[in-house]
Amino acid sequence: MTDPKPTEFDRCLDQALGRALRAPQVPHSLRAHLSAALSRSAETDLATLRARLDREQREQLETLEVEYVRIRRGTFVTLLGVAFAAGITAVIAMPWLRAHLGAYGPMAIAWGGVALGVGITFYEPLRTVLLRWSDAL
Amino acid sequence: MHAAASEGASQDRDIVELLHAGARERAFETLLGRYEGKVYRLCCALLRDRSEAEDAAQESLVRIWKALARYDGRAALSSWIYAITRNRCLTALQRRRLGSLDVLDGASQTAEAPEAGATPSWDARKQQLRDLVELLPERLRRVLLLYYYEERSVSEVACMLGCAEGTVKTTLFRGRAALSELLRRRGLDDPTYWREDAP
Repeated sequence: MTDPKPTEFDRCLDQALGRALRAPQVPHSLRAHLSAALSRSAETDLATLRARLDREQREQLETLEVEYVRIRRGTFVTLLGVAFAAGITAVIAMPWLRAHLGAYGPMAIAWGGVALGVGITFYEPLRTVLLRWSDAL
Repeated sequence: MHAAASEGASQDRDIVELLHAGARERAFETLLGRYEGKVYRLCCALLRDRSEAEDAAQESLVRIWKALARYDGRAALSSWIYAITRNRCLTALQRRRLGSLDVLDGASQTAEAPEAGATPSWDARKQQLRDLVELLPERLRRVLLLYYYEERSVSEVACMLGCAEGTVKTTLFRGRAALSELLRRRGLDDPTYWREDAP
């Protein structure tokens, strides 16, 4: 929009408005209040950060606890399942083994299983000890 | 981009460089020196209450400080600062509307016609003019105020209010027209009456 040619009145009014509507001075208190607010916000930020970290840590611990319980429950169920399956297998296979391998056949297989279990259990610690020993030599 | 914004972008390059260099505190100090007054005046024009404007300006500057590290330079710094300030003022205005407050900064709503034959003092006439400006609709009043606060810079006002310069010019034209009409109705449309040295 283009302004029509300003009249004498328009010019006088513009000047009067320029004098009457002076920009308000920034209050001296603004800087002081701002500094205080910035300090407060920094403190709040730290407190908020600490609260957030605490909350995250609590949540992580709760998650770990839930996971631990779940794993323990899973392990227990697996053990029960394996024991049950081993019992059934033994009941079914025992007559056949006695018939084909003699009276000590099942015992030999059982000892073989025990040896395998012991081997699996002690393999890793033994390997570590042997490695350290060879390094020391 | 507004002329003031593009002008401001080159003017504020030093602040942006300080930010890139990681000197946030020095950048904020420089920003404060340059924009503290403008932020306060924008708050005054939008809120019409000095103490509320001071609170709003303070909160806006705290927000600017907090957000300064995330300033990505996509918008001119001045536009970004004014946008934060406007948002803070709009929140205050919404709160005020909810609380049904109507705060006017000491402006009396009656601008009386002068007594015949007696010209009031210059201070009284300026007060009359301020009172009449307060009677203008909000949209016209805030543009008129900011225009004179910012020493008649249309581009700066456009940047402050986040609108086009053409909109500011149109609003100014309408504001002056509305003010002239108010003066005419009160018999105050004599040019000599608005001269400081009126007889």
